[in-house]
Amino acid sequence: MNPILVACLRVLAGLGLMLLNGVVLIYMLRKVLGHLHVRLGPMNVGWHGTVQTVADVLKLLTKEDPTPRAVDKALYFLAPAVVFIPSLAAYAALPFSKTWAMADLATGLLFTFGIMSLVPLGILMAGWSSANKWSLLGGMRAVGQQIAYEVPLLLSALPVVLMVGSLNLNDIVAAQDKLWFFIPQFPALLLFVVASLVELNQTPFDMSEAESELVAGFSSEYASMKFGLLFLSEFSNLFIMAGLTVTLFFGGWSLPFIPAQIQAGFAPIVFVAKTYLVIFFFMWIRGTFPRVRVDQLQQLGWKVLLPANLAWLLVTGVAVKLVEAVAR
Amino acid sequence: MKLWGSGLVNGLRISMRNMRRGPITLQYPFEKLELPERARWTVVPLSDAQGVPVCTACGTCVKTCPDHVLALDVTTNEDRSKHINHFSYQLGACMMCGLCVEACPFSAIAMSHDYELARVDPDTLEYDLITDTPAYKPKREKPATPDAPAQPASASEGDAS
Repeated sequence: MNPILVACLRVLAGLGLMLLNGVVLIYMLRKVLGHLHVRLGPMNVGWHGTVQTVADVLKLLTKEDPTPRAVDKALYFLAPAVVFIPSLAAYAALPFSKTWAMADLATGLLFTFGIMSLVPLGILMAGWSSANKWSLLGGMRAVGQQIAYEVPLLLSALPVVLMVGSLNLNDIVAAQDKLWFFIPQFPALLLFVVASLVELNQTPFDMSEAESELVAGFSSEYASMKFGLLFLSEFSNLFIMAGLTVTLFFGGWSLPFIPAQIQAGFAPIVFVAKTYLVIFFFMWIRGTFPRVRVDQLQQLGWKVLLPANLAWLLVTGVAVKLVEAVAR
Repeated sequence: MKLWGSGLVNGLRISMRNMRRGPITLQYPFEKLELPERARWTVVPLSDAQGVPVCTACGTCVKTCPDHVLALDVTTNEDRSKHINHFSYQLGACMMCGLCVEACPFSAIAMSHDYELARVDPDTLEYDLITDTPAYKPKREKPATPDAPAQPASASEGDAS
């Protein structure tokens, strides 16, 4: 087959996965948050509200799309795409099984982090071009926290890379066939989860949206599908971060005690199931904790997470070298 | 000393406990809560077995009502019997205190359980409880001998002795 055609099909598959994920995750979020708060969540559209998000998507697609007069047109129209495209591209390196990945990249982990760090740029564009002080505040906060937490996020993934000796996500999964890394790397897992919550603008750190203060932050001037794209990329980032957590710490698509031949058949299902469990955990956190202040967030990032990350990196590095020396 | 971060774990535990407790939501238009027996909503007139309103037009409820939402428009006939033209009720101003029902000496009105009171037309917030009906004649128990002292008087005498 024509390699360009194959590439196009893979991108289409990624897009389909992303859209479907968005619909499922929004429903899941509303249900999980509802039940955490002893409520029901959506109930009326379809059985237990299952078709609610489909109806919401239809609404978003058919809605009027007004452009406020004062916006910076070019940036305003570009921003949703700049937010959306990286979060679509980030699916490229996620290994759904040994062979199921859009691209088998030697630097998969680096690629994912790199492409995800483009998202704050789009958010800043959205906040800046909206000509709205709340949007601007939201955009600035998002950029402040996401760029600040890129460092702890990368550093908390590094111990795993040290143990494996490769940035290829498939290699990282393969290295976990004996022992999932969340056991030896438990501190790194905690640090990674905190940092990824910040990267995702998830609730304990959702200052960029902060419903009660900034309306909807950077997305408040957007309507219709432009808003839909911003919203969708948020949920797709959630899936990617959860998928990375699974890949780095919970053995990716592999299951323990089951022969590899049997596993190969349903590896993608295992991966998605694990990812959804991690997403559930993120939503659980979201339904539990109140928002922290901006200065508290920066304090946590620079005064707690960064030193802790460096210390754990040191411990892991020494341990890896010691194990190597003993093995030799 | 508490372990650092134990508060976070405790918070997660509490929200999970809530999740497992199950929702307590009642989906109102589809499911309705059964009201307690003594719930107080709109004032309604009561009728006897024949369906005739038992209001005697004594006006006690009108005097009792702190919000002045009840009003009686009565004409007295030649034979001193009363005729109720309008016994009107301002639903929009009623606070459902139930004092009128407590005051009514003949149990002619009651607090109903009708709580779905939203109205499209504000004019419907004021309506008649009873319209154009002869007032009920209470059956008075005449004392056996006209000269005998009334019952309360003898009771007070008993108290004094």
